Amino acid sequence: MSQSRFLKAAATVVFTAATLISTTGCSSTVDGYEPDTFRINLQAEPPSLDWQTSTDSTSFDVVSNLMTGLTQYNNDMKCEPGCAEKWEVLDGGKHFVFHLRKNARWTDGKPVTAHDFEYAWKRLLNPATAASYAFFLYDIENAYEYNSGKIKDAELVGVKALDDWTFSVKLKRPAAYFLYLTAFCSTCPLRKDIIDKYGDRWTEPQNIVTNGPFKITLWKHEYKIELSANPHFFEGPPRLKKIKMFMIPEQATAFGLFENNQLDYIDNRSFPTADVERFRSSPLYRSLPLLRCSYIGFNVKKKPFDDKRVRQAFSMAIDRTLFPKILRRGERPAYTWIPPALDGYSEESKSEFDPQAARKLLAEAGYPEGKGFPLTKVLYPQREDAKLVVESVQEQIKKNLNVKLQLEVNEWKVYLDILHRDPPQMFRQTWGADYPDPETFMNVFTTRNGNNYTRWSNSEFDDLVDKASAEQNQKKRAAMYAKGDKLLCQDEVPIIPIYWATQNTMVKPWVKEIGFNAMDLQFFRKVYIEKPN
Amino acid sequence: MLALILKRLLTAVPVLLVVATLTFFLMRMVPGGPFDADKNLPPAIVANLNAKYQLDKPVAEQYVIYLTRLAKGDLGISYKYVNRTVLDILSEAMPVSLQLGSAALLLAVIIGVPLGTLAAVKRGTWLDVAAMFLSTAGISVPGFVTGAFLIFIFGIWLKILPVALWESPAHMILPALTLAFSPAAYLARLTRASVLEILEKDWVRTARSKGLSHWSTVMKHTLRNALVPVVTVLGPLTAILITGSFVVEYLYAIPGMGRFFVTAVTNRDYDLIMGTTLIFAALLIVTNAIVDVAYQILDPRMKVEG
Amino acid sequence: MTASLNTALEQPAKPVSRVALAFARLKKIPAAYVAFWVVCLICLMAILSAAGVPLSPYAFDQATDDLLVAPSMKHPMGTDELGRDLFARVIYGSRLSIAIGFVTAGVAFLLGTTYGAISGYCGGKIDTLLMRGVDIAYSLPDLLVMILIGVLVGKGTFGILFALGLVSWMGTARLVRAQLLQLKEEEFVEAAKAAGQDGFTIVMKHLLPNAMGPIIVALTFTVPSAILSESTLSFIGLGLSAPECSWGTLASDGWRSLRAHPHLLGFPSLFIFLTVLSFNALGDGLRDVLDPRTRLFKG
Repeated sequence: MSQSRFLKAAATVVFTAATLISTTGCSSTVDGYEPDTFRINLQAEPPSLDWQTSTDSTSFDVVSNLMTGLTQYNNDMKCEPGCAEKWEVLDGGKHFVFHLRKNARWTDGKPVTAHDFEYAWKRLLNPATAASYAFFLYDIENAYEYNSGKIKDAELVGVKALDDWTFSVKLKRPAAYFLYLTAFCSTCPLRKDIIDKYGDRWTEPQNIVTNGPFKITLWKHEYKIELSANPHFFEGPPRLKKIKMFMIPEQATAFGLFENNQLDYIDNRSFPTADVERFRSSPLYRSLPLLRCSYIGFNVKKKPFDDKRVRQAFSMAIDRTLFPKILRRGERPAYTWIPPALDGYSEESKSEFDPQAARKLLAEAGYPEGKGFPLTKVLYPQREDAKLVVESVQEQIKKNLNVKLQLEVNEWKVYLDILHRDPPQMFRQTWGADYPDPETFMNVFTTRNGNNYTRWSNSEFDDLVDKASAEQNQKKRAAMYAKGDKLLCQDEVPIIPIYWATQNTMVKPWVKEIGFNAMDLQFFRKVYIEKPN
Repeated sequence: MLALILKRLLTAVPVLLVVATLTFFLMRMVPGGPFDADKNLPPAIVANLNAKYQLDKPVAEQYVIYLTRLAKGDLGISYKYVNRTVLDILSEAMPVSLQLGSAALLLAVIIGVPLGTLAAVKRGTWLDVAAMFLSTAGISVPGFVTGAFLIFIFGIWLKILPVALWESPAHMILPALTLAFSPAAYLARLTRASVLEILEKDWVRTARSKGLSHWSTVMKHTLRNALVPVVTVLGPLTAILITGSFVVEYLYAIPGMGRFFVTAVTNRDYDLIMGTTLIFAALLIVTNAIVDVAYQILDPRMKVEG
Repeated sequence: MTASLNTALEQPAKPVSRVALAFARLKKIPAAYVAFWVVCLICLMAILSAAGVPLSPYAFDQATDDLLVAPSMKHPMGTDELGRDLFARVIYGSRLSIAIGFVTAGVAFLLGTTYGAISGYCGGKIDTLLMRGVDIAYSLPDLLVMILIGVLVGKGTFGILFALGLVSWMGTARLVRAQLLQLKEEEFVEAAKAAGQDGFTIVMKHLLPNAMGPIIVALTFTVPSAILSESTLSFIGLGLSAPECSWGTLASDGWRSLRAHPHLLGFPSLFIFLTVLSFNALGDGLRDVLDPRTRLFKG
């Protein structure tokens, strides 16, 4: 009796395990769908809804739906009119005049005026705000000086409301990418009266006043944010009545809720990579290239990577086609720093896989067959994808150059600290675009950029990037960037671009008009829910 | 007994002070700061941030500032969650963890202790072996795996319990089970070992051989003694369970405070690290004081000083 | 009635034969006897692997044509994302995991028992002081301490063992202390004191042997939790750097693929489970073998 009961229990366990393995795919029922409500996963608590102090994509995913700046992105990453219905570019690209639409309203019914922008931009630059993204406006006259405390008077900063509907911005020098910055959350307008009234508490749902397609109605910290349609939105209220944003940190859990129709959308961050094969063929699956590149960087001040032949040899010894197979998210092998979607991308700049030539270069540099090569450390952060990448690089360098690399893992902040203070010979890093322009990629490796951990300093490259950002002719500008990219990837090789990331998502069939864009920005002003049959 | 509790409360102050001091300086010795981010900030902006949060002062001075504020009951602010105070954050998260933790604790005790007693009494039978298998699984399978299995079986496959989220009492079942599995296993093994010790005492054996009814009265008296190790582990266990579990909250998307023990450290959110640590320390002092009091109820011969 | 009396009665004549006798007794408990050999086998595997004997020559070989294949004749446990043979990696991973098990159990036993015994036997002010020390050690944020150890002591095997040893002893200390507070009030302790035995002898001869049951349980539970904690260490960057591996890191790397590639989690977990099960069964058996009061056969 007791024996058979035990056997039964064992059988149940085995059966369950078998089912666990064999059950695949997603349920096709529509139970659980909620009319006019879009349920998504935010993954984590947004650190701040103050769009001037927040710096992370979680916060921006909320703010993008609450606020509209002077311009707004469409899904092709072009700037459409936002609060400004038109603008003029004067003085050879140094002076922008924005003309605001008169029907843009805050959620409390007041009109959005140029004064709201002037106040907001000056607050962003005010040292007391301590905004991380203040540097976005450093191209404006006296902006850097004011933010760094060199001048105290905010009136000297080159932004001014000429009247209620005209906003003038004067730059130090022309900046071809400047318009993109006006679509970014950090540069959205702010209401002085609200901030003066509520102080630090102005972002709480009962206090906050916004001007975008949705307004915030509930914020249960660490759990859920609810947005509802803003009836005052200048394009007319959006068709969605409600957006529920849950904060589910674990991807597998979010996906379970999606399978049970309790979430309508799995965005790139919530996408369970480990399981990708199970639903690559699903009709709900979408995939789109992102403007984000992973690379291996060298500290060019440390031996033996002060010799550019060694760096070139390493770049040629790595077969980029392996990474998509290993990481399985549809990554694209990167042979250049500028991604194909942006101006300045050129086949000419490519660094090709050629182990034979790599060995030759290494021998010329004094390490034939890898003999006598100094101990080399590769720094990487504790992330599954980073680990797989460096493991593969280690194996390939050993196989193709007979050089042994030592991998060194670190906790995220310790890793960043080491990069900031004393980068080791090699490290794995990524860079995501701040705006859809080659400038955001190229600027990283200029001498003055704080994100240039390679310590590589090349005046030709710096000049090219400076000149290109002021160049008004798109063709000439693209050619300059292509030249810079070749310098970076073929000639000097302070970095080895590895792969461009891809955005993987799953969307329920009843969600319509959801758009995807190369910067993984989430805005839902056009989305609506169609009743499933 | 009352004297013991009062004395404990008095010693709590220096203990907490030592914990606060050690944590403060350990935390500042760890590399990386709250504003180190993927994208490196210009020095002018880092200077603005440090000035705003008084991180530009010498560490010793910051320590004094912190203690002065703490003495006034101010736990400080979060560097990560802008405009939220540590008190705000913890007072929202704590009730959730308290509920879930108490449920798990209750489950662990009502599963673990009877199972262990039964295994000891039925020693060597299939029940003892099954209990050992179960408790081995409980301790050697990590929480995230147990949780993933439970979610799949009950949430996705059978669809009888919620996959995740924190909405109704039904949402508490799977997380509480996940959280209780490993402590229940530990309590079961500990109870078994402890009851076996008692069962092997000669006078218990004699009583047992005289007949079952006689033996059951003996059991009633001896089981109390056997519970001393169980109660010992319940002290820290209670403090751990009611301050939340990172894994369970992470897996089931529960807005509890367990996550902050991990994220506050990984974010270098200094005041939040101090807040979570001090709350845990205070709870531990209380639960361990209760344990010491419980000893004297279980076995009045045991002497504990305050 | 008293432990010492029993010991005296059953004490064999020649001390040399004690080990042999214990072994003979162990043989009579089938579960423990099997567990004993399983533990020996696992340890042998770990020791040979650590000594550099290539039991698993393919542990680091990446095969780009065989990524994530399911278990087969060629790869009995399948392969991982980089095409490495999981069987080879599990064998290789035993060295660190087993070392962790022994070191943490050892530290918990030596440090934890000594600390707890002093606290429990002395009682009073010393007990209060020592126990508040445990409270403080228990309250410090583990994660912070371990990141710091990684920075100061350095990563790699030593750092890991140091960090895990450091946090493993507190539970055992509290258990031993509670057992001693209880046991020292028993009559046989009075008897021993009256016979002029000193504190050390009383603790070693009379008190600890009677507290062995819970201590062994605590130790057998220290092992798996340390083996699993090691994977948490790699999460905060103190753990092993790739491509090194252990059962803990293999299991935690594999768990997300639970539904698509269950072998990545299943096999390392199975080894952890079997090891812990053997330690549990052996612990039970050892307790019986070493405790002279136990009568293995009824009647």
